[in-house]
Amino acid sequence: MIFAKVVGTVVSIQKDENLNGKKLLLCKEVDHEGNPLDSYHVAVDAVQAGEGSFVLLSYGSSARMTSTTKNAPIDAVIMAIIDDVQITHKMKS
Amino acid sequence: MKLGVVVGVVWSSRKAKELDGCRLCVVQPISSSGKKQGCPLVVADPKNIAASGETIVYVTSTDAAEAFDTGFAPVNASVVELVDEVV
Repeated sequence: MIFAKVVGTVVSIQKDENLNGKKLLLCKEVDHEGNPLDSYHVAVDAVQAGEGSFVLLSYGSSARMTSTTKNAPIDAVIMAIIDDVQITHKMKS
Repeated sequence: MKLGVVVGVVWSSRKAKELDGCRLCVVQPISSSGKKQGCPLVVADPKNIAASGETIVYVTSTDAAEAFDTGFAPVNASVVELVDEVV
């Protein structure tokens, strides 16, 4: 799973029929503190995330393992909205 | 499967229903000698094995879903073992 921030919506009329009714969001990858990284993903929304949400994104074949995305041709899904990330243990090296 | 140290926790009140009751940990991957290796990642903990500062074994890719009783969850990594000692 990776941290991401929702930065936009992807609107499409013509799409694969298995994607009907699914919201596609443009997500920018971030680190655990919310600082933006280089890559981005277009992900299906399984948790009603909105623009600006700090979310967890699952990618690859695992992305199909939700009730919303089963059998759909997708490789990224937003599967959690993050409230907080707590670092509780500092490693030395 | 890889070794990692639990360094934090991700709190989320709204998640996919397949993940209900499952904790999400921040894990720092380590080498076989126990040194830091690469960036921290988020790992699901379906059996509530992990605690902060503990060394764990985690499994990645599609196989991560097999750590759940249902075998069906949108996760890329799951905790499967708590390590007592590496000899």
